[in-house]
Amino acid sequence: MKIKTPYLTLLTGAALGVVLLVASMLATPKAPAAPAAAATPAPASSAAQPSPASPTPTATAVANVPARANYAGEVNGGGASVAISIHRGQAIAYVCNGSVIEAWLTGTAANGHLTMTGKGHARLSATYRTKRAVGHVVAHGVRYTFSAPAVHKPSGLYRAIAVVRGAKIKAGWIVLPDGTQVGSLERNANAAAPSAKPAPMLDVTTGTAQDGDTVLVATPVSGVTGSGF
Amino acid sequence: MATQPHTAPPRPGRADSGAAKLVVPSLIGALVALTLGVYGHLHNPTGYAINIAGFSSPGAVKSWLATGAFAFALVQVGSALVMYGKVPRVAAPSWIGGLHRWSGRAAFLLAVPVAVHCLYALGFQHYSTRVLVHSLLGCAFFGAFTIKMLVLPKSELPSWTLPALGALVFTALTGVWFTSAYWFFSTFGIRH
Repeated sequence: MKIKTPYLTLLTGAALGVVLLVASMLATPKAPAAPAAAATPAPASSAAQPSPASPTPTATAVANVPARANYAGEVNGGGASVAISIHRGQAIAYVCNGSVIEAWLTGTAANGHLTMTGKGHARLSATYRTKRAVGHVVAHGVRYTFSAPAVHKPSGLYRAIAVVRGAKIKAGWIVLPDGTQVGSLERNANAAAPSAKPAPMLDVTTGTAQDGDTVLVATPVSGVTGSGF
Repeated sequence: MATQPHTAPPRPGRADSGAAKLVVPSLIGALVALTLGVYGHLHNPTGYAINIAGFSSPGAVKSWLATGAFAFALVQVGSALVMYGKVPRVAAPSWIGGLHRWSGRAAFLLAVPVAVHCLYALGFQHYSTRVLVHSLLGCAFFGAFTIKMLVLPKSELPSWTLPALGALVFTALTGVWFTSAYWFFSTFGIRH
């Protein structure tokens, strides 16, 4: 009894696929039964081994938690936009209504949870998974809730910093998946509570924006590529 | 698989008897494609799968495996053209069948790990046209390949069957490669 070779080819491929799938399932870090169990080793291993070659980033301790991700979306109600970039446990976020309400936040991402703070008592708390980040952010005393989907270049967060006549200008833009953008610009970013105004339009293809006689060069803040971290 | 007695009278002028043999393989192939797509969509992407040492990222691994599969697929088209006598002044050498079979097996087996990573770690996605086309063609490729493998041993097929199925498989793989590996290399540079 001889199996016809094309069938053998199919069976071999299917078997290879199953073996690789099972191996991947076994290799994928499982979601812990108790969150506390994973919380202990994760920061320890990141502190002990900051090796970039490590194949199991700390953030994969919980299933479906990406180690690198970018999220962007409108807040619930549509009054502002929020963008979050996560890169190996570090997170940068920006919330902005395209005018005076805006805040940069930094913090840590671990086991699917984000805790971030910024100037002017800005704070952000969220949970994140592969597809979206869900939480709330407080900026300028305004509390927004959001459910922001994962986004891909050219959507996401952009930042430009320039020093003009001794003053540090800091601008941020959030480019949504549909291509719309909001951005604000701080004239004196080193102030304790910098005042913001609408940012000039960012050209995402060149990464530049014209602010009067100054050309602002924006850098993507991308958790996926690590740019801006 | 009982073989048809060769004494069965052929029915000239009607391709239905041969074409009818394509129905079950086509349904199975469609089921394969559908199963892959549904699994990829329902399964929560892990963003993680076993990796091959020596590469910088899963994307690089997959791009090189897919490029290997695509290279073998080009051999497939070339050897098929020679076998069908479509290349002027080139007589099919005795080993051309073996070359066609083994390059096909190699292409398929190289594509399997890529598909496993795609479906397990990334899933069926549609956030951009490229990604949607890639997801659809990736599922279609394995469906079409399944049909071709199931059809191959059958006799008395319409003469267009294998060229058409081969073209389908090759077209799907080409689309898959351009929407993934080609995109990867042109976006991030050729690296490993």
